[in-house]
Amino acid sequence: MFEILSNIVAALLTLFIFSFLYKDNPFYRFAEHLLVGVTMGYAIPLVYTNAFIPFVYQPIFLEGQYWLIIPSILGILYIFRFTKNLSWLSRYPIAFGMGIVGMGVPMSMHSSVLVQMRNAMRPIDNINTLIIFLGTVTILLYFYFSKPHKGLYGKFTNIGIWFMMVGFGASFGYTVMARISLLIGRIQFLLGDFLGLIK
Amino acid sequence: MTFWEKIQNIDRRWIYMIVALCIIVPLLIPFNSKTYVTEPTVNLYKKIDSFSDKEDKAILLSFSHDASTMAELFPMEVSILRHCFERNIKVFLICFSPPSAPLMAYALNVAKEDYPDLESGVDYCNFGYKPYGLFLPIVLGMGDDVGEAVDTDADGRKVKNLEIMKGIRNYDDLNLIIDFAASAAVFSWITYARVRFGANVAAGVTAVMAADNYPYLQSGQLVGMLAGLKGAAEYEKLVDVFAAYEDEQYSDGRNFSQEVIKNTWVPIMKKTISYTSGETNVQTDVELPYKFKQARIGMNAQSIAHIMIIVFIIIGNIGYFLSRKNKNEV
Repeated sequence: MFEILSNIVAALLTLFIFSFLYKDNPFYRFAEHLLVGVTMGYAIPLVYTNAFIPFVYQPIFLEGQYWLIIPSILGILYIFRFTKNLSWLSRYPIAFGMGIVGMGVPMSMHSSVLVQMRNAMRPIDNINTLIIFLGTVTILLYFYFSKPHKGLYGKFTNIGIWFMMVGFGASFGYTVMARISLLIGRIQFLLGDFLGLIK
Repeated sequence: MTFWEKIQNIDRRWIYMIVALCIIVPLLIPFNSKTYVTEPTVNLYKKIDSFSDKEDKAILLSFSHDASTMAELFPMEVSILRHCFERNIKVFLICFSPPSAPLMAYALNVAKEDYPDLESGVDYCNFGYKPYGLFLPIVLGMGDDVGEAVDTDADGRKVKNLEIMKGIRNYDDLNLIIDFAASAAVFSWITYARVRFGANVAAGVTAVMAADNYPYLQSGQLVGMLAGLKGAAEYEKLVDVFAAYEDEQYSDGRNFSQEVIKNTWVPIMKKTISYTSGETNVQTDVELPYKFKQARIGMNAQSIAHIMIIVFIIIGNIGYFLSRKNKNEV
């Protein structure tokens, strides 16, 4: 019974969202606002039971680890983001967070720059490495703006533009595929779980 | 007004209608289509397969998406879990965002329905939702001791006391992390778990994110990748052809072979198999549960929709160039 009811609610909300394809309407806006509300309503108690209770309440109040009051206060400072006069206080936890992000910079450099460079410097022994070499060099030349893109140099940078266009095309093709997949998922739900037409 | 001019000004809602029909019809009248597997999918399959029946190896599945991208990621999650359960591979699940928690439990429940002997804490373990603030401490902590870093599982049990933890200490044992993501979450696993500890990382991503991940695949920082619904369909096929394969000769699946996958076509709809029982030859219809072929049926609709979009692009361009030509003549 619960499954039937939940499927009806989910199907109705799906149709409400799809109704936007015709034109904007109150059903669409209702479903949109409900999604935001439900997401927050679901997340708050989950974070409370999985984060606040085990990592703040229990260690401080039950186990006496009072040093945790310091990071807890630092976290509470985020709330001052919503006040005009004291919003500057929220910069301290943000600064702390940024410091932690900084810890990842050397590792990011390794994975995103050094390893990628190493792989771009392989011997050109097949057509794929030749294409990668050409693409890398011509795109780098395109982004070198201290020399006008004219003459022979301009021809090279034009090849770089073509490589980028192919890249954007591949990315866009994947995006179309992704959006169609999401529609397929919803229609599979409507036809299968809701109407029972797919066995 | 000519046909081409009319096409230029067509109401977009007609196009929505045609695209919807292109998806609804193949789903209602499914057909057997071929699925070609690509190298990133095969590499991931082979990596997971190499952990078969090993007490001291395990896989960590990280769920980094919400329900909006379930259509693409859910079939790959179920397929990988099915592969692990078929091959007796220890599998752990974790998520760092609240909306992922029920999806993770749902994927696990759907996959293990067909394996009644599996036990939580012995064959698999759901670490559950961990607040994102603990992402770094957990990812870095697992490099030293998984039990210490994660502490408790979704049922509140101490992880290091669980039977599944026998032989599993850090990334040397928990040697493959697969992140199912609709964002750049995979990058965090590469940055911290791979660069710092040398853990193997793979990605199951939405098609939108696939292009961003190819550089990491090409440079060998990802051992494999499933890209969108197509990647899920490929993995479904590999599990059917090898890990979950069953006949008179192979009662417990068969090993991966490039030749077999090249020459094997798996009908996704009802198929008739024949076997000998005593002296009689028996023929029976078998049908794979929908959950294990969901992506492949979805790809039927995807193929038709793609053809339709290509036709629209061609018609649109012909109309554009003809109307521009007419304007120039005037």
